[in-house]
Amino acid sequence: MIIRDEVDAPDDEVIGSRAAEPIIALKGIVKSYAMGGVEVLAIRGISLIVERGEFVAIMGTSGSGKSTLMNIVGCLDVPTSGHYRLDGVNIRHLDDVALSRIRNKKIGFVFQGFNLIPRMSAIHNVELPMAYSGVKPAERRKRAVVALEMVGLGDRLSHFSSELSGGQQQRVAIARAMCTNPSLILADEPTGNLDSRSSAELMSLFTSLHDQGRTIVMITHEPDIAAYASRVVVLRDGEIVSNRPQDASNAVSYELAPSGRYSFGGSGDEG
Amino acid sequence: MATAFGNLVMAIRGIGSNWLRTLLTMLGVLIGVASVIVLLAIGTGSSQSIEKSIESLGSNTLTVFSGSSSGSTTGTKIRNSTLNTASVTALSNSFNDPDVKSVSPVVTTSVTATYNGASYSTSVIGSTASYLSAENYTVSAGRSISRADVAERAPVIDIGTSVASALFATGADPLGKQIQLGSSEFTVVGLLASKGSSGLSNQDAVAIAPYTAVQDQLTGESASFSELLVQGKSSATLSLAESEVESTLASLNDTTVANLPFTVIDSASLLSTATSSSQTFTALLGWVAAVSLLVGAIGVMNIMLVTVTERTREIGIRKAIGARRRVILTQFLIESTVISFLGGIFGVLAGILVSHFKIDGVTPVLASYSIPLALGVAISVGIVAGFYPAHRAASLRPIDALRYE
Repeated sequence: MIIRDEVDAPDDEVIGSRAAEPIIALKGIVKSYAMGGVEVLAIRGISLIVERGEFVAIMGTSGSGKSTLMNIVGCLDVPTSGHYRLDGVNIRHLDDVALSRIRNKKIGFVFQGFNLIPRMSAIHNVELPMAYSGVKPAERRKRAVVALEMVGLGDRLSHFSSELSGGQQQRVAIARAMCTNPSLILADEPTGNLDSRSSAELMSLFTSLHDQGRTIVMITHEPDIAAYASRVVVLRDGEIVSNRPQDASNAVSYELAPSGRYSFGGSGDEG
Repeated sequence: MATAFGNLVMAIRGIGSNWLRTLLTMLGVLIGVASVIVLLAIGTGSSQSIEKSIESLGSNTLTVFSGSSSGSTTGTKIRNSTLNTASVTALSNSFNDPDVKSVSPVVTTSVTATYNGASYSTSVIGSTASYLSAENYTVSAGRSISRADVAERAPVIDIGTSVASALFATGADPLGKQIQLGSSEFTVVGLLASKGSSGLSNQDAVAIAPYTAVQDQLTGESASFSELLVQGKSSATLSLAESEVESTLASLNDTTVANLPFTVIDSASLLSTATSSSQTFTALLGWVAAVSLLVGAIGVMNIMLVTVTERTREIGIRKAIGARRRVILTQFLIESTVISFLGGIFGVLAGILVSHFKIDGVTPVLASYSIPLALGVAISVGIVAGFYPAHRAASLRPIDALRYE
């Protein structure tokens, strides 16, 4: 119980990271919902550590609690009980504003439905989280261009999401997730809406991000997608039933994207 | 935190997502703002024209009518009190009435004037020479009716420009011509300078003749006048003149001032009455316009609620990637404010444009306060109408908003 007595982290600590601590430390997390007066336990006491630089896949069928877990890990929801430290910051005591800040600074989201803002160009979508964190317009434009070039969309800067394919939209989403240089990339069924070819391209992008030392947590129900991860955690009925490292080279390699095509060199200092 | 400018750009981008809907919403505000400006301009224009026409009735004048103004007097004794030459003589006595400059008896009638086949329906005022100066009429050609004309009961007449242009061909000189009034003939001796038509009535559609001649030829011999026009020496002493007139008439008719069977109205009080009623009129128009502005505001709120619902998912995305409540709130508030501000600006332009046209005989006069008022109200409307929808958007939980289909 090292975590227990931690108080609210001051603002500057929220931004900074503590290299010694794991990125994610979940301890006895419980989440219950009241559904029609009946209390439903979505998560029944999960403890999980994700170290810096890991690529973890969280698997489970629908109803296993993996989406609830993803919401808690992504600071979109708070647990009913238990302790959660993200990159050294205790999430338990944070208010709405502080949670927004954490999401903005520490987490890069990649959603199943891409979740780009329609009627905004690719570059504006990528710039948005930086706009919310107060990066100056010129600087965020520069970083957004770099990020989009790195996901191979340097020629699609001013395309609207309706003009991009699913795979391209998801790569814009990854550029958006990367440009704030977050501690954690949180992907929720990132290949769920993609064909196998785009899925393979996307996974090799994730793999190269992992190779560069990024921490990635990916929710999926597809075993062949989970196979890219360095560790697979399986949930069933709100509990972890399996948690084992694996050799990511087991992954079926489509060899569509030459390795090294996607690289995130130091994407600039946090503003 | 996004900058204010960034917010504005985002808001405009949001507005741009559905141009037609935004334009229709703006139209609501536009109509509201424009009607505030136009209706207030009509109110101001009509009250100005009323004031002008009352001023042109003559300053420093008192009008004495037959009949009591107060119904609550001990009205059992109904006197057959009339305004006659005795009243005029009494009021003209400078000892009893030192503040009265002149007294003009007035006999009015309406006749059809004809000349060489041309005819024109006009009011004929029978009075004396002092009437013209008391009523601010001046003679532009010829002469005014004179004291001698009154004494000789001469059928001579001064005609207004409307009468002259209706009866005589352009270029023709009406002076010295005989015009037919009913069955009588009057000789035109003077042309009255135009006073313009101002609101109430056309003051140039008038002909002024000696009251003696009018009684002889048109109304028939009668001892009474329809009214007396009393001119005071100055506006400062007009109320003194009024009480002098009242007491003189009271003693002449053997009664008290309280039971006076006449009504004395001074032009200043007429003006203030008219001013206050035209102010009421203007305020009423303003309220009508305010209602249409309110309808515009409801339109803005309605559209903002629809927008928030439509963009729930977008709000979820924004919150997930780090937008705070305040940023979302500001974004939607700016959107609604921009809509109503643009609507307001175009409304002001439309209002100014429409105010250049004569509406129902009234020349609108832009009230200087109406533009900042309408624009200020429009912007407040945007903020107030946008607040609830914006608050709803900002309060959405990101997971609920993201799940929204």
